[in-house]
Amino acid sequence: MVSVSQPWFNLLPGNSINLSKRAACKCIDDSGIDPCDIGLLINTGIYRHKNLGEPAIASLIQKKMGTKATRGANSGKTFSFDLNNGGCGWLTGIQIIEEFINSNQISNGMVVTGDSDPFHGLSEKYYFKSAAAAIILSRSKDSEGFALFRSYSFPDHSEEFVSRTGNNNLNRKRNGKNILYVSQKETYLDLCAAHASESLINFLGETGLKLNNTDLIISSQSPAGLISKMKDKIGMKDNFVEIEGPGKKKLHTSGPAFALKKTWDDKRFKRSKHTIFLTVGSGITVSVALYIN
Amino acid sequence: MEWKCQFDSIGVKMPKKIVTTRELVDKLKIPCLKKFGLLTGISERKICSSGEDSYSLAVDAAKDCLSHSKYRADEIDMIINCSITKYKDGLSHQYEPTFSVLIKNDIGAGKAITFDISNACAGMMTGVYLAENFIRQGMIKTCLIVSGEYISNICDHAMNNIKTSLSSELSSLTVGDCGAAAIIERTDNDKNGLVLSGFTTLSEYSNLCTGRQNRKGPGGFMKTKAKRIHQAAISESVPIVKEALEKSGLSFNQVSWLIPHQTSRSSIISGSNHYLDYFGQEPGQVIVNLKETGNTASTSHFLALYRYLNEKKFKENDIIMLLCIASGLIVGVVIYKMNEIVLRYGNKN
Repeated sequence: MVSVSQPWFNLLPGNSINLSKRAACKCIDDSGIDPCDIGLLINTGIYRHKNLGEPAIASLIQKKMGTKATRGANSGKTFSFDLNNGGCGWLTGIQIIEEFINSNQISNGMVVTGDSDPFHGLSEKYYFKSAAAAIILSRSKDSEGFALFRSYSFPDHSEEFVSRTGNNNLNRKRNGKNILYVSQKETYLDLCAAHASESLINFLGETGLKLNNTDLIISSQSPAGLISKMKDKIGMKDNFVEIEGPGKKKLHTSGPAFALKKTWDDKRFKRSKHTIFLTVGSGITVSVALYIN
Repeated sequence: MEWKCQFDSIGVKMPKKIVTTRELVDKLKIPCLKKFGLLTGISERKICSSGEDSYSLAVDAAKDCLSHSKYRADEIDMIINCSITKYKDGLSHQYEPTFSVLIKNDIGAGKAITFDISNACAGMMTGVYLAENFIRQGMIKTCLIVSGEYISNICDHAMNNIKTSLSSELSSLTVGDCGAAAIIERTDNDKNGLVLSGFTTLSEYSNLCTGRQNRKGPGGFMKTKAKRIHQAAISESVPIVKEALEKSGLSFNQVSWLIPHQTSRSSIISGSNHYLDYFGQEPGQVIVNLKETGNTASTSHFLALYRYLNEKKFKENDIIMLLCIASGLIVGVVIYKMNEIVLRYGNKN
């Protein structure tokens, strides 16, 4: 089950924590699963409202979901934590949940991801849309589901995209404030597309699957221009899912979840026999997974 | 097939600069806080100086860990960075790229899968929990869990804001900086190593301790409802510890060493007394490792393990219980039967 959440009005800055809570609760409502039966809850959002460091955002989402529990807020069975793996976090979270389901430690797990500008209007060159998404994973009864996960990283390009806080003493509006700076080199987009394509080819080689046997590619939506670059490199233009939205802002960690939601709603995901999840982010890190229906 | 796992090595990096509790208390000039050092059991803490930060502590701890390990960096399959603080180049908090991918590059762990987690002071223990599952499933053979905490900067914020002994920032005076790392490996030794790990988040208490970046200047701050979190931690952790002991087939007095999260001496003593009342038994020894380091957040359990390994206090087959209580509220238990790691730290018995 997948749910997504965005600010009510695009003009509002959005609050990643509230958006994540809303996406998680909607996902719970739609699935009909009791929140007490969620054994593991992982939040993979990076840019958090007011830059809360502790507790984990996942525990705040769990608390909100607790109000929907039929067996009391404190089931004593859910464990939650935050995970950061840049644009690949959502897929890494899914991989961890899958491992815990396979080892029979849990029956259901949830990955929630959401980003918003931590310092509304003050951050420099922050271009991600305020949005959140949640997905519940459960044990499958047959061979359907995730079949293989692989991660690739290219740390020689770790300086291509850097986001960090710092003091700005030059700008009057930001005078002395501890704000977020995003620095993206011009070559970042090309490198992301190249490494994602290279990783996908390696991944397919390992699975024995041919590119034209894949039906759907659910991928990251950032950096801006990534999907069209990958279409040019890989081909299979109809297989990519692109989330278009108004303005220049792009979905970050929730991008692939929004793409999945789109194909979930129009039934393309259900019809697809082989779906590839392809995420890419800073590092440069690429994660790929195969889902078989 | 399900594999077993055990610690291969542990490494630590402590900054050299020392700040004593007396120095802090004297600056505050609040008479009630004169006995703060006595109550907390913290005489001093190590803090970062120029050129040191969360990242440098994490990298140096990882290198120290590798120096005690039988593995080379290029044999590490997974790296999980677990710190709360992500300061690099001073007090600049890094969001992306992750520390783990940078550490991978710095130590030369070319094939490692990487990601960061954040779970307050339960970070490294959560890393153990995740690594254990990956190893037991046969997905990986080795995992480096690492954390660098440059958390002492919250003390600077607290020093400007504490006006009475009831301040919600008082706990910020207990913290110190530290880097720690551990390599967990797959083993076919089914007698020693990791016996059990279990974690629960009691999210109804999630508002009792919060920390965030300071908006007006570098660093962060933390606010704690210390009494309420202490009460919740003690009462809620008992049934979880009981369940862990039952699953492991152990009684509380079979635990040779109990290592709780290192907050303050009075909290640890009060918790131990509560456990004694409940179980009617006590472990061999409760480790309090605060005097020279303070509360080092997510690294505190591994700092205690490292110290006691180096002081040759652990023996093979000793049962160690690592009890983790962190804001969230997270309660976690790891039960470990000491393996031949003691030999690598010089213990011949």
